[in-house]
This record gives sequence, structure tokens and C-alpha cells, in this order.
Amino acid sequence: MASPSPQQPSLLLPEAPKRRRLLEILGAASIIVTYVVLVLTQPADIAAGPGSLAALAALGGFLLGAVLLVVAVLPTLPTSTVVLIPIAMVLNIVLGQFVGSTLVPFYLDAIGTVLVAVLAGPAAGAATGALSSIVWSLFNPTVLPFAAGAALIGWLAGGAARAGVFRRFYLVPFAGFLAGVLGGVVSAPIAAFVFGGTSGLATGAIVSAFRAMGDSLLAAITKQALISDPADKAIVFTVAALLVYALPRRTSFQFPFVRRYRVLAGRAPEGREPAAKA
Amino acid sequence: MSRGTLSLERLNPLTTLAVAAAVAVITTAAGHWAFSLAVLAGLVGLTLRQARAAVVLRAAAAILLPFWAALLLVHGLFFPEGRTVLAVFGPAAVTREGLLFALDAGLRTGVFVVAFLLFSFTIRVPELLTVLSARGLPPRLGFVVVSALTLLPAAAQRIRRIRAAQEARGLVIGRSLASRLLAARLQAVPLVLSLVHESGERAQALDARGFSGRQPHTSLRTVPDSARQRAARLVLLVLCLLAVTGRVAAALLGGRA
Repeated sequence: MASPSPQQPSLLLPEAPKRRRLLEILGAASIIVTYVVLVLTQPADIAAGPGSLAALAALGGFLLGAVLLVVAVLPTLPTSTVVLIPIAMVLNIVLGQFVGSTLVPFYLDAIGTVLVAVLAGPAAGAATGALSSIVWSLFNPTVLPFAAGAALIGWLAGGAARAGVFRRFYLVPFAGFLAGVLGGVVSAPIAAFVFGGTSGLATGAIVSAFRAMGDSLLAAITKQALISDPADKAIVFTVAALLVYALPRRTSFQFPFVRRYRVLAGRAPEGREPAAKA
Repeated sequence: MSRGTLSLERLNPLTTLAVAAAVAVITTAAGHWAFSLAVLAGLVGLTLRQARAAVVLRAAAAILLPFWAALLLVHGLFFPEGRTVLAVFGPAAVTREGLLFALDAGLRTGVFVVAFLLFSFTIRVPELLTVLSARGLPPRLGFVVVSALTLLPAAAQRIRRIRAAQEARGLVIGRSLASRLLAARLQAVPLVLSLVHESGERAQALDARGFSGRQPHTSLRTVPDSARQRAARLVLLVLCLLAVTGRVAAALLGGRA
């Protein structure tokens, strides 16, 4: 253990944490307020066309929230976490396509985000989710408005890890299911108001079924999201947990978050005793 | 690289971003299919003048064709708010309002997708990040984005190598779910392990070079900008504000939201 740890505490003075905190709160508030406003003021009569004010509010509010969160969180993360974020983005895309093409018709596009959230905490998870959507939008712009939903999934995964869910494997799919419920509910207004419905044929068929029963557009899309998202996220959380368990202990316990909150069961390998403060 | 007089590649990336955002905001605020159609036609015309027109249009078609099909399925057949019924197939009814809704939402999304693809395929990402960090965005953002974009092809290449190595060890992907799961595990675990391990080494190298320093970073890259482009960005911002204000005023005065 002669080599220096990449997690050595920085000797530099902390930089204006209050401003960062304020940005974080503003980002979260922007997302919550946008959601509440959208649900409360949803256009009652959509026969005249997709509501343009609701679309503008959904686009602006959610995107602003995601960008503020990234700007607030990114400078506070240790270097070992920052270098993990691009890897998570790559895993989201590569594993998502790969698993999606070999196994089941799910998206599974958040495996990397959940992996980072488990290793580095809720803030890192939220930043990874939002950034992943922003980078992916360079190839597919329709992903961009969903950045807030992706950030929420990362944040919830980190919260679950902090609460010790990943110490007991059987709890992981349940945590994923619950995160999927919340993520689906937040993403539904974007699908409804920005894109006038859905982005895929399979999900479109489910939306059509609820519309045939006379549901409003937002209700039909929320119900569709409540069918697909929880199952999708339960699988994503499980796969991410299996990948974290497969990492050598020396690698997973090098992350201060894992040691501090005893995210994984078992003891830290020798020389990696729980840090007093991370 | 650039061709024609309207090449967007010569512009400052911030100007291209401003144009894409303004086009999306103004079209959404206008909220009329005819306006969206005119803007979409204009964007396609502009795309055809670019050197990478084929790439942009192919990417846009790959996104938009399934999207339009889904919209037509959802609103074309089931639109409970529709009043003018054109045809009835059992529980499904084609209504004029439903078709117009699908047309409106489809064209609006078309404008959004083509505008932003035109932006992302005509800028150089490092230039955009230089400009953004000069305007106060964290420099780490630049590292994360560029690093993800360079890692992506490398990771795709690595997963092919891992697969070849596992096949050399006797991996045969059968048709059963268990066999596929095992194959997924045998490929995903080495990929994740090697990427996470490398990231630890990269963190040490970056820290040794003052990555976490809080002093302003000097950029070696200068991105050309001009007074005309600055003025154009300001005009676009004003136009966006006017469009949104106009839409809010119309909603408050009793028009549709």
C-alpha cells in the first residue's frame, strides 16, 4: 500500500460552499416547481393542439434545473469521482445497447448512472444522470428534456446506497422499482407536453390503450410510465448491483462514500479502514 | 471541410447554439403547424448547404420516423377529445383533431431535432466547451464531456475485444436466456472492471497536474468571434423573450395555452 491514494483529502481551501448549496437548492426547486405547475395548469382541452406554453415551461424549467444541479455539484466532487462520470456515460450507452439487444426489450440506459451513484453518492449520481442526457442529446436531441428525470434516478440510487439498500441484495430491485415510479411520474409531463405523447412504438401502444379508455393525455402517459419505468429501473438497479459486487474489494472500497456509509456488506480490505471523514 | 456560403462550421459555437435554441423556442411559442412546417423546410434547406448534410439528415430520419409513426398511432386512432370523426375501426376512431394534434406535435419535434442535430454536427465540441468555461461554467464539465466522447468508441472497441477473448476461451452464446445472461456477465464484468480501474489511474495523473486547482485555467484554444455574431446572439435572445412574452400574454387574454 505504498502508492498514494487518489482520494487523499485536498489541501486547498474549500471554495464558497454556500453559493454551491444555493445553486443546488435552486436546481431542485426549479424541477419541483415546474412539475407542480405543469400538473396544476395542464391544458384541459388539448383538441386545439399541443399546449405550447406547457411545452416551454417543461423544456425551460427541467433543463434549467438539471444544468444548475450539474454546475453546483461538479466542482465539489473529488477527482476520483469526476473521472468516473464519463465512464458511467459510456456504460449507459454501451451496456444499454448491448443488454438491450441481447436480452429483453427494455431501455436499460441508466446502468452507469446507478453504478456511479452507488460508488460515489447521490450528488455524483444526479450529476451523472443529467450530464449523460446532455451528452447523449448531441446524437439524439429528444433525450435532452429528460435530463431532470435521469438526475432524479441517479440521486435516488445514491440515497438508496447511503441507506444501506445495496448491503442486502434482495432489497435492490424494490429500491429500483420505487425509483422508477418517481422517475416515471416526473418524466411523464415531458413526454406529454414537449413531444405530444411518446417517443417509441411499444410505449405508444400502451398509451393508446389508456387513451381508448378515455384517459387524458397526461394520465395515459403517466400510467404508461408507471408500467414500464419501475420494471426497467428494477432491472437496472439489479444489474448495477451485480456489477458493483463483481468489482474487487480493493477497487470498490477506494471510494470514500462506500467506506463512510458502509454501502457494501463486509469489511474494507486491509489498509482501507473506514475513514473518520471523507 | 466547409462548402457553400452558408456553412455553419465557421460560426462561433455559441452563435450556432443560440440559433438552435431560438428556433426551438420560437417554434414552440408560435404553436402552429404551418409555422413549424415552414421552419422545418427552412432548416432542411440550410442542412443541404452543409458539408455533412447526409449525416445530419440520416440521424434526423432515424429519430423522427419511428417518433412520427408512434404519434400517428397514439393520436390518429385514439383521441377522446376529438369531435370530427372521419372513420371508425371498432374501438378506434380517426378524428380530424387527433390528426391535427399529431401533425402539430410531430412538426414541432421535427424542428427541435433537426435544429439541434444541425448544431451538434456543425460545431467542434472542444471549441464549445472552451467558450462555455470562459463564461463561467466549471472547467471540469469540459473534461467530462470530451472524455465521454473519446471513451465511447474506445469502449465499443474494447467490448469487441473482450467478446473475442471470451469466445477464444470457449464462450458460445446459445439461444436460452441462461446462456445469454452468462454471456452478458462474461463481457460486462471485464469491461466495467477495466474502465473503473483505469479511471483510478487517470485520477492520480490529473491530480498530479493540478486538475482540482481552483485558480482560473488558461486556455490554449482561441475561438473566433465577431461583433456581428455577438449582436446576432443578442437579437436572438430578444426574439425568444418576445415570443414567450407574446404567448404568455395570449394565454392570459384567454387564448389557448
